[in-house]
Amino acid sequence: MPLLARLSDPRFWITLAALSLLVVVPVALGSPFAIHIAVTICVFAALSTAWNIVGGYAGQLSLGHTIFYGIGGYAAALLIQHFGLTPWIGMLIGAGASVLAALAIGYPCFRLRGPFFALATIAFLEVVRLLVIHFNGFTGGSAGLIVPLNIGWAWMIFQDKINYLYIAFGLLLLTLAVSSAIRDSRLGFYLTAVREREEAAQAAGVDTARAKLSAAMISAALTSMIGSFHAMYLTFLEPATMFSLATSIEIAMFALIGGLGTVAGPLLGTLLVVPLAEAARGWLGAAANGLHGLVYGVVLVLITLTLPGGLAGVLGPRVETLFNRLFGPRKRAEAAAPPARRVEGAPGETVLETRDLRKMFGGLVATDDVTMELKRGEILGVIGPNGAGKTTLFNQMSGFLDPTSGHVAMRAPGGAMTTPSSPDGFARLGMGRTFQIVQPFGKLSVIENIMIGAFLRHPAVADARALAHRVARLVGLDHLADVEARNLPIGDLKRLEVARTLAIEPSILLLDEVMAGQNQADTQKMVEIVRAVRDTGVSVIAIEHNMHAIMSLSDRIVVIDSGKVIAEGDPAAVVADRKVIEAYLGEDFADAQGL
Amino acid sequence: MSVTAQLVLNGVMLGAMYAIIAVGLTLIFGIVRVVNFAHGEFLMIGMYAVYLLSRHAGLHPYAAALPVVLLLFAVGALVQRFVIQKLLNADEHIQIFATVGLSTAFINLALLLFGADLRAVDVPWARQSAAIGPFNVLFGHVVILAAAIALVVGLHLFMQNTALGRAIRATAQNRYAARLMGVKVERIYIIAFGLGAACVGLASALIMPLYPASPTIGAYFVLTAFVVVVLGGMRSMVGAFLGAMIIGIVDSLSGYYIAPDLKEVVYFAIFILILIFKPTGLFGFGRGTE
Amino acid sequence: MRKRLTAGAGALFVLALAAGLSPAAAQIKIGALYPFSGALALLGDESFRGVELAVEERNAAGGLKGKKIEIVKGDAVDPSQAVGEARRLTSVEKAPVIFGTYSSSLSLAATQVTELASIPYFELGAVSDPITERGYKFVFRTNPTAKDFGAKTVDAVLDQIAPALKLDGKALKVAIIHEDSLYGQTVAGFQAARAKEKGLAIVETLPYSAKSVDLTPLVLRLKSAAVDVVLQTSYQNDTVLFFRQMKEQGFKPKAVIGAGGGYSMVDTMKAVGADNMEGALDVDFTQYRSNPAGAPGIEDFVKKYQAKYGTAPRSGHSLANYMGSKVFFDAMEKARDLSGAAIREEVMKVDVKAGTTATGWGAKFNDKGQNERAEPFLMQWRKGELVTVAPDSAAVEKLSLSAN
Repeated sequence: MPLLARLSDPRFWITLAALSLLVVVPVALGSPFAIHIAVTICVFAALSTAWNIVGGYAGQLSLGHTIFYGIGGYAAALLIQHFGLTPWIGMLIGAGASVLAALAIGYPCFRLRGPFFALATIAFLEVVRLLVIHFNGFTGGSAGLIVPLNIGWAWMIFQDKINYLYIAFGLLLLTLAVSSAIRDSRLGFYLTAVREREEAAQAAGVDTARAKLSAAMISAALTSMIGSFHAMYLTFLEPATMFSLATSIEIAMFALIGGLGTVAGPLLGTLLVVPLAEAARGWLGAAANGLHGLVYGVVLVLITLTLPGGLAGVLGPRVETLFNRLFGPRKRAEAAAPPARRVEGAPGETVLETRDLRKMFGGLVATDDVTMELKRGEILGVIGPNGAGKTTLFNQMSGFLDPTSGHVAMRAPGGAMTTPSSPDGFARLGMGRTFQIVQPFGKLSVIENIMIGAFLRHPAVADARALAHRVARLVGLDHLADVEARNLPIGDLKRLEVARTLAIEPSILLLDEVMAGQNQADTQKMVEIVRAVRDTGVSVIAIEHNMHAIMSLSDRIVVIDSGKVIAEGDPAAVVADRKVIEAYLGEDFADAQGL
Repeated sequence: MSVTAQLVLNGVMLGAMYAIIAVGLTLIFGIVRVVNFAHGEFLMIGMYAVYLLSRHAGLHPYAAALPVVLLLFAVGALVQRFVIQKLLNADEHIQIFATVGLSTAFINLALLLFGADLRAVDVPWARQSAAIGPFNVLFGHVVILAAAIALVVGLHLFMQNTALGRAIRATAQNRYAARLMGVKVERIYIIAFGLGAACVGLASALIMPLYPASPTIGAYFVLTAFVVVVLGGMRSMVGAFLGAMIIGIVDSLSGYYIAPDLKEVVYFAIFILILIFKPTGLFGFGRGTE
Repeated sequence: MRKRLTAGAGALFVLALAAGLSPAAAQIKIGALYPFSGALALLGDESFRGVELAVEERNAAGGLKGKKIEIVKGDAVDPSQAVGEARRLTSVEKAPVIFGTYSSSLSLAATQVTELASIPYFELGAVSDPITERGYKFVFRTNPTAKDFGAKTVDAVLDQIAPALKLDGKALKVAIIHEDSLYGQTVAGFQAARAKEKGLAIVETLPYSAKSVDLTPLVLRLKSAAVDVVLQTSYQNDTVLFFRQMKEQGFKPKAVIGAGGGYSMVDTMKAVGADNMEGALDVDFTQYRSNPAGAPGIEDFVKKYQAKYGTAPRSGHSLANYMGSKVFFDAMEKARDLSGAAIREEVMKVDVKAGTTATGWGAKFNDKGQNERAEPFLMQWRKGELVTVAPDSAAVEKLSLSAN
């Protein structure tokens, strides 16, 4: 959302005012201890917010995030020690190193989900920590690094503690701003999509690896900068604290308690837990050894049990409603819908082909030497009994499944026949596909679902939204624009799937049983939509069991049985073919058609 | 040459110790699918229980195994029933944090009750060396190896041949389908968690003669146990056993031939490579990418 | 005349009231920053007990500047908490001084705070040298440092062990093994440097993780290298493990010297077994089987400790903290006020002869705040007791090694 529009929204100013209490209160109290608590809160809230970009938005639970914090801290400290370089620059260099580390860790590991990814990040953290200890000549090892007490802004070390708070607060604002910017941008939408349903996101053209790596790099850079600052604040670094597993877990925990995947969540979690921990230590620490730790642990368990949605999940909607009542609904930048894209290309040319395509699962032959082609501007129907391998064929044609042997190619915008290497690669070249079992992004609204597709050719949020509205109108879903997808019935979900696929403005459309489970009226609507789409130049392949629909739509029909093409050609001819009647249509259908 | 052989033998003994701890974790991680960060603390609880029974009830530590196994089963079952179960359908991240909270609470509870001192029990013959040819092994380690093998075989037979074992395996593979088949999934999870904790209880009774108990003793074993479980493939007892053997031998050999302070680097590096290239583990049948 | 008396009495009354109403004026607060929880809790607590006993003693004798001393505890597990607690103790509790800390990393972090605030920090037990090498004006330390430990252990090999074995020191094969945290790395570093200086042959240097579950590969390395003397720096668990596994693998070096830590603790000996620990040497703060002639007050201290805590002291840390507290209390008493500058002035004037305190150390602080009359003693485990064998003034027995 453009900055000017945001500045005019009273929400922004209220939020900023609330945040600045973190600075105002300690200044008013005038106590160095209060300043220390405030700095600690700002640092951990910032770390947690930065973590949330990977852990919450991208859904990859990193429990080794302090690897970046430590790199930032050590980079700044070592550069001061060896080169007398100001930590402000050291901070940036450290951030660069962390970005590289994020790439090195993320690239091989993002395939891992859930606990496996978490364990991998822990392993990386431990390895780095042990190596930093081992090479003690360079890093100071366990004895630690002492930052020389040079006072002044150039060295980020101050007599007057309040300056630390200003910097810490500034870093917190920075991470919140970045987090917020991501959430409202294409990357944010993409990350949500990837987190919910990775395959559907790929079908919409999202390069999932790149999205996650972007998130990782941004998060790493921010975490690293905070580490550099904190090192200057503590003026003493040692591997055990800078690469601490316990701290890694803590910052993830704050985000979780506050609400994963929200902007304010990590901050709220930190505000709840840090003062609690400090208070517990202050009151109980003196009473008996271990008492405050016990209380802390028990409270953590209780919080996870009672607030699994996080604080933001509880408070967020209420605050939102309050704001809406006071200031009216959130303003959104509007844009005119971009012009509809016409598909270029010579009529009648092949846009998609398979040659001797073969797929085996173990000993089972799912696709048996299938050779077929799709011509520009035609609607090709694909029919056949259940289990014939139609969807498997689709998966190979759209890059979701690698064939055992044989060849798939589609016509790229430049005119050449190419075989992209990933599902999102196919999507980017203009192939859109729906899934037999619908894959909506449940927590997103209808319009946001469609936007995921629209983003492919329109990176700006306002443009994507406008395009999404147009597509929604086309399929008849615009009246449900802000309804969350998980609340829709199957018919609407099918149309939503089609809409999302249309939003990528494909030149080839693969429709997998989009009429299934719908009533007469909805089916008729869908037929009209498909025709309208073809009229803009898109070539369509449709798998269907609804014979009426497929007969009225298709220019050609291909029949698949047991992985093989058993008939192909003009719909009327195919339907009369004996082989097809025996394999699939059945005598009743033949009789009804008068064959 | 004989040094290498001694190292390998030492590695096998070490591996047996990891195996007996990791088997329990395989049950919990593989079936309930929870990263139980409090697993090391189960070991710690068991060790303190053995200590108390030994000191105050005069029980021999090995004899204390039975009550401790039952105690840990109860602890595991309770944790599953009152903590993990409530979070079964929440984000898996939340389950992890619940176990982290438990871990912190247990460690500090032990600190509160027992202080930070080391508590050891005396079983002199467990620390006697037996000579096998030119090599030395401790009796205590031999007991652990025997117990580990017995445990793995026993659990394997249980899983394959009993109705309960089949129900557990079914739940592990697909809990919705299992539920549709009439399996009470909640009860299975309680049993699995309890069983996993009970295995650790057995481990604690056998380890106690060799290592003193302290509040943070769990941390010494838990990360390695996770490495073993993933290495072994998460659903397989036999895999966990073999994984433990490999880690033990790698630990021993790299401690000698590379450096004692880098041996963890070696097996964490192996761990990372396995996760990247073969996430189903060396012997596993699970799908590591889920 | 009567008016004046009444006025005077009235004024006195008001003053007394005022004094009673402001409790701070009736007591002097001292901060005590130690790791009371976490991995170092055991010795953190032990160290603190020395301060506690010193305070009790002092209060019974009239207090400091006529006021009772009140301890305010601060618990820290990592440097960040140390910074926080230092801030809290100084700015919220308004303690004019802080005593601590046993853990070097906590001390280093906390002193960065107190120095900028010009608050005196009395270090009574942490050994990392940089604590008093940064040239800070308000950090003072009574105990010996890692460098002293390093030097003493190496010197012991040449000056005590070699003669006892009737061998040439420089022909002995020596190994340095250590746990890899600050404590181990620092001492081992100094050992290596001193060994080089003195021409001692270090054939193996093996760091290991204090959380190791198995040290057999390390023991086998030492055995393969036919090491004669092992210099170890370790905590409790790893000391126990090392001794056990030495026995298991049949590795019998001619001598083993620890640098405090686990080597000084009774529980270690109990876990290892008195027989297995027989003859092991240890360089550390003064321990309890020392000659009271060389460490006057040590027996009283043990009695007081036993009476208050119900057990014998668990390590010499309490004694070291007790001695240091007393030295600093004396300096504070003499200072004109409790400002940093005034206290520093008095501390710099301290001149206590060696052999006159409960630890046997003297006290004279150099410009950087380090006590130059503190030295670690050499001890040996004999029949389940840790007895001092050097220096002669504090020795209870003579060092004895079986030449095998």
